[in-house]
Amino acid sequence: MINTSDYALEMAGIGKSFGSTVALSAVDLRVKKGTIHGLIGQNGAGKSTLMKILSGLYPSGTFSGQIIIDGKVVELTSTLDAQDVGISIVPQETTVANTLTVAENILLPEMSRSPLKPYSKAKVLSRVTEFLNSYNIPLVPDKLAAELTLAEKQILMIARAIYLEPQVLVLDEPTSSLTGDEIKNLFSVTRTLKSLGITIVFITHKMDEIIELCDLVSILRDGKIVFEVSRNEFKVDELISQMIGRDLGDLYPVQQEVSEDAPVVLKVVDLVIENPRKIGEPLLKPFSFELRKGEILGIGGLVGSGRTEILKSLFGHYKIMGGEVQVNGNQIKSRSVTDSISHGFGYITEDRKAEGLFFNLAIKQNFTASIIESLTKLSLLQKTVEKSRARVYLERLQVKPQNLDVPISSLSGGNQQKVVLGKSLITGPKILMLDEPTKGVDIASKAEIYKTISEYAKDGYSVILISSEFPELLALSHRVIVFSGGRNVGEISGGLENEKKLMLMAIGTTEKASN
Amino acid sequence: MKVNNKRGLSEDFRASLLRVVFLIVVVGFFAVQNPAFVNGASILSVIQGMVFVGIAAVFLTLLITSGEFDISVGANAALAGTIAAQYVVAGEGVEDDRSPWTGLLIGAVVGTIIGLINALIVLVGNVPSFIATIAMLFIAKSLATYLPGGKPIPGYRDSWEAEGIGFRDSFFLSNFSIITLTLIIILGHIVLKRTHFGVVIASIGSNKEAARTSGTQVKRVKTILFALTGAGAGLAGAVSVFHFGSIYFSLGQGWELTAIAAIVLGGTSLFGGKGSVLGLLFGLALMQTIASGMVAVGIDPWWQTVVTGGIVLATLVVEQLRRKVS
Repeated sequence: MINTSDYALEMAGIGKSFGSTVALSAVDLRVKKGTIHGLIGQNGAGKSTLMKILSGLYPSGTFSGQIIIDGKVVELTSTLDAQDVGISIVPQETTVANTLTVAENILLPEMSRSPLKPYSKAKVLSRVTEFLNSYNIPLVPDKLAAELTLAEKQILMIARAIYLEPQVLVLDEPTSSLTGDEIKNLFSVTRTLKSLGITIVFITHKMDEIIELCDLVSILRDGKIVFEVSRNEFKVDELISQMIGRDLGDLYPVQQEVSEDAPVVLKVVDLVIENPRKIGEPLLKPFSFELRKGEILGIGGLVGSGRTEILKSLFGHYKIMGGEVQVNGNQIKSRSVTDSISHGFGYITEDRKAEGLFFNLAIKQNFTASIIESLTKLSLLQKTVEKSRARVYLERLQVKPQNLDVPISSLSGGNQQKVVLGKSLITGPKILMLDEPTKGVDIASKAEIYKTISEYAKDGYSVILISSEFPELLALSHRVIVFSGGRNVGEISGGLENEKKLMLMAIGTTEKASN
Repeated sequence: MKVNNKRGLSEDFRASLLRVVFLIVVVGFFAVQNPAFVNGASILSVIQGMVFVGIAAVFLTLLITSGEFDISVGANAALAGTIAAQYVVAGEGVEDDRSPWTGLLIGAVVGTIIGLINALIVLVGNVPSFIATIAMLFIAKSLATYLPGGKPIPGYRDSWEAEGIGFRDSFFLSNFSIITLTLIIILGHIVLKRTHFGVVIASIGSNKEAARTSGTQVKRVKTILFALTGAGAGLAGAVSVFHFGSIYFSLGQGWELTAIAAIVLGGTSLFGGKGSVLGLLFGLALMQTIASGMVAVGIDPWWQTVVTGGIVLATLVVEQLRRKVS
């Protein structure tokens, strides 16, 4: 008698430890056939470990528990096995073979299975073209993968997974590099797949995606499934509290009022910054603003409105073409990053991978890299002092794991971001500029980062903040200056109630500033 | 970079065409200086000059395309050639079948073993291949020097006479090395460009993670490539001994650098992901033409190395510029 089941995928009692660290303990996940099942889990909750087990990267024997596909227990010894039983995973990081074409990338799984078969470019092209057309995927088959945008690469990865006609398709944070229309496209492709009978596990931490797409949601926290709910019983608040393990109310810290007579720390008058992509041309119309001691000033606007360029110009990275910058009443000229740092500016980049961290080094070295000179006596590094300074920030930021010698690369995204923050805080900049400080960060880490930012301001420092998540921007900032269509369109006070106002101002005109 | 494959000639084809034209120009340059350069015997000697490095370099191209390195190919050839020669010669005077053909097989086997040891150190020991194979280079080279007791191995040729093989009389035998090179180049090219395996090799060099998620057994493929590279090097050493009729001290010397230069000249990326066996052929031809050409024209040997290096550099710079422009 054939053993079939209502469930396309079951993970029963999955457990895995790394030495003494328990990553997963008795995870029970049941995914009904033909549904879109949302899996929410913070980085650090065990989500990536779970996915590695499911994909066959951690083969049978390295974990406890069972994987059951369509009622049958399966033993996976390799990624090939996982594909054979119909599991297809699209990882979060875009891993695409850049020197191959789109078509070759899509057929790669098939080709690695039949290595001795002859390769005919024409045949490959026609098959892939047919496939792409049938699923309405907007990719050019003979284009080199290196020429694709990040969003297109993500779609390529999904196409590659779909081509295998899986029973269970796992999408791990698929929208992390996608925007508006691309996200809509992805949703419709996902729904098409569902209608074709494919079961989909949709991993995300974005609430609106869960609400829009998922039939069922499971929440993974600290290595266990703590909550499961179906669409008609969703309650957003409850979901969030289950995700972070505490009340939503704790997410955003309470702002401390900035007094009227707090001194002006930074004053910008008719500033003209250069367009980094068009040397010699101004990016925005001249603008002015003030920043007081203890204040968090938000810069609001849509992607492309020039916010990052403003911060980078103040930091000495891009050129200032005109206008005045006054720090504590004195006009300054920053010709370089070193100049800006000496005037008290600090900047945290939005691209931690490329610009923020030293990936080959451990947490300790990353923290102290910017203050290394103050830790040396006679040119020799005082290791104990280095350790104690780093430890202060390790604890303050609640970096997990609480171990200074762990290499950065093994940390989750959220914890890496905390280290980036710590790197800047440790130098104590009077004017700290944060560019998307919680991008790609899980909710619990976000809460801790918010707290740290708020406390920094309370301690008498000033912060300029950029965030594309409007609620976050409004909750943290005392005031928000808005840029749209190449100029400053005004200022609003902080507070979640102003979200609509902010949106309207940011949309203003449809012209993009930095192009 | 090209957007539409259907419009006109593809970039790869244009690049190949450019290379062929360049080669003809270089040949022409030397021919003008010394017309004897382009007669049959001359051309044959040019080809003969590059043949042994060539045999070793074909599978090395595949290995580099997969993102790994093997800088021990020259030493590998030397050791394999030495062992092959010793094996063949040792049978001399005794009534057993120690034929030179077996010597070739031995050479290939020894080379494969060296390649597999490289694979072990790199894939299991987690040592970067560049460093691991440098170590192997020293080990193999010393073994090759001291195994025959530091002396050349005489009597290889006599074993042929014992077999009744007249080396110089047979077209096949005297051009055996060239025939071997041709076959291996064809094989290498087909594998790299005309089979799925070739795409898999390129995918590993391009993005190891992407290859892995596609189900490729990366370690297995690399092991095969290391073994093949070793086999090629070993065979090259044995063929070289076969051809010259004896071991010579400088067997394998400098092969790794020539091989890598030829590979890179041919458009293979040292970072992996993009490789061409036909390109390797071009690289070899170019370098050997320049070397032989300089001799034919009477350029001081001291200058030869400088000129070779200069032309290699120029070719690479032109490649980079061309890439930026398109």
